Amino acid sequence: MDASLKSLLQRLIRRIPSQTLKITLDKWGRLTTAQQQSMDFTQPKRVLTEKLLGICEENEWTVKHITELEMIFIMDNPNQGMWNAFQLVDPEYDSQSVELMQFKEQFKCHLSELVKHVSVKMKKHTDEAVWIRIAWGDGFSRPNHLKPTYIVHQLQTPYVFVTSLTSKQKPLLSQALILATRYQAIKDANLNGRKLTAIRDLLMRQYQQVFPTKYASPLTEKNQTVSNTCIEREQAETAANRHQMACEAFGDGMLPQLQSAVYKLETKFKDHANKTMTEREEPFRCVVKFASTNLLESLRHCASSGIASTPVTPLLSSIPLKGKNYFVITDNGPGPSSRMHQPQS
Amino acid sequence: MISSVTRTPLNSVVVQRRSKSKSYRQSYRSCLGAASRLGFTPALTGRRLNTSRRATKSHDITRKVNPEQLALLMKTELQLSYVTPLYQFRHTQLKSYARQLSAFIVAEKQQGLAVEVEGPQSSFRVSFSVVQGMVETDDDAETVFIQIHSKPLFARKDEPQRSVWIGWLTCINGNPDYLRSLPKDFICLPLFGSNGAEHLTSLVKSWFQQTFDCCFGPLEISDTSLQWLVALWTNCHMESNIQHLKMIWTLPVVPPLQVTYTVNPQDAWELWSSVRKDQQEENNRGEEVKDENIVDIEEVMRFTQGLKSHFYRHFRLNLSAGSLNQVSTALGSAKCSGRIKITNSKYMITTLTLLTECALLKMPT
Repeated sequence: MDASLKSLLQRLIRRIPSQTLKITLDKWGRLTTAQQQSMDFTQPKRVLTEKLLGICEENEWTVKHITELEMIFIMDNPNQGMWNAFQLVDPEYDSQSVELMQFKEQFKCHLSELVKHVSVKMKKHTDEAVWIRIAWGDGFSRPNHLKPTYIVHQLQTPYVFVTSLTSKQKPLLSQALILATRYQAIKDANLNGRKLTAIRDLLMRQYQQVFPTKYASPLTEKNQTVSNTCIEREQAETAANRHQMACEAFGDGMLPQLQSAVYKLETKFKDHANKTMTEREEPFRCVVKFASTNLLESLRHCASSGIASTPVTPLLSSIPLKGKNYFVITDNGPGPSSRMHQPQS
Repeated sequence: MISSVTRTPLNSVVVQRRSKSKSYRQSYRSCLGAASRLGFTPALTGRRLNTSRRATKSHDITRKVNPEQLALLMKTELQLSYVTPLYQFRHTQLKSYARQLSAFIVAEKQQGLAVEVEGPQSSFRVSFSVVQGMVETDDDAETVFIQIHSKPLFARKDEPQRSVWIGWLTCINGNPDYLRSLPKDFICLPLFGSNGAEHLTSLVKSWFQQTFDCCFGPLEISDTSLQWLVALWTNCHMESNIQHLKMIWTLPVVPPLQVTYTVNPQDAWELWSSVRKDQQEENNRGEEVKDENIVDIEEVMRFTQGLKSHFYRHFRLNLSAGSLNQVSTALGSAKCSGRIKITNSKYMITTLTLLTECALLKMPT
């Protein structure tokens, strides 16, 4: 068996936890019933790998088959690696009518024109997202399947999510994407995270949002029976207000799991207690990073508990509002983000 | 030239024995001020860190201390503990201590564990040495450096032993009143730092405890001490580029939020010097003559407050609601759990002076 094929399969099996492996193989459906039954998933991974290598020879699988398996695994378990969000801008007049088949053809065609040896696999997921797997090669070498790039594009939206892309590959991918989707440019959305589902939910606002309202809670009954009229919570109203404002800024219920947010501050130092620094012309340069297992929930709790003053500052509420987690703040407002343009034809 | 004489400092003060049957040590607390001599019992809050300290310009410590030994003390992260004074510890007996500790470790390892068929799997070699030249006053005892070498478990016969554990005991600029008040047989090396396997650390501590009748305890680095380090290290920027001033806070929300605040070194330095200038102007108005080298706690607090208020202006988030966990610059890093790493030898003395003080304060009396 080809050494690179063997190594590809070995690496893939090593990545997949045993239980998930069973589900993934079943979904893939390329094992015969007999072969399926011969796999005992309670055995150590080493043994399973040996078995699968044997089956691979038996069934004469090729690289195409293994990458298919890998894609199924990644699509079902997208919350690993680091995903970066991009946004397509300036749609052409016919961008809304781009449908799946057209997109697939155009993308493959444009990318093959740009990159001599490239292997592209595209698959539509159940939730209207197109998944693309790219193994990059160049004029001299065949596609490298060990370091593929994965791309997820929600059709009819301007959002694209990418993982494992090098800076050399970025312009090539951007070019192919804007040509295939009929947009004029693509820019960095300044949002990254480990969980694809979280950053997608954040950008597409698929979480419970709270809007400002005059009556935050249902109107209370006039003849309310109170358990003990002598007990009155002094802070009840302010606490409720804080909670309301916290939810307005970040959302209610379960929030998308972002891990971090980074702010690069280049603003002047202003403090009435320190005249010397306030008179200084140059900005006070610093970088602030917020990190948590669920950043938005932590920030919401900061606001509702009073650690963060309410109303929540736009710097923090921009995270869900703009769907970003990297900001450059200058005295003139947030800085420009990077853009990739379609060349003027 | 490094002097080759080691000595344990002599006590010049005669201590009144209150009880004839046992020697006792005067409490650290009672050395802190005149109030104690008048018979008042100082309140517990009277025991605190010095409110001002000397931010000495860098020493070229490499001229006084053997650079190889110095390298051993730096660049690894050490866990700190305090140690109470050691009874009858002699700097001249280090070779004997090394042998005793080595035997102790081997004996403890063979005790109660599964029988090793091939004899002792790894033999331990312990070395004690003095790091001469670090101390500046006659009252401080010389720093002692301990190293344990061992062969890894499945080593070949000819493979050399590797260093698996290091530790040191030190006292830098300890409170002279306290040090002089100790009875003759006690040596004070209150700051202990170690790096290596936990079981070796506890064996070393046990041996010290039973040989010198002392006790060890964890040394956390308090919020105030971390703020001191922030200020003292920033103070060094002109002489040695600190490269960044990084502070890490944890806020008590669910799930916990970690805030890493990294300031450009030049800007941090300018904020610090503006705080010092304002403070000096205030002092001059009060007509106090102040040594430029002395840093006051007020300056430190103002500096931290400045940093926090710049943060608040942007995020409206009160960092004081959380706890400062870690500070780091190119000179070193310190964590509130008591882990410290010194990466630049020039400011080691300043850092160790602060930590010695923390250790002396934390010791039970």
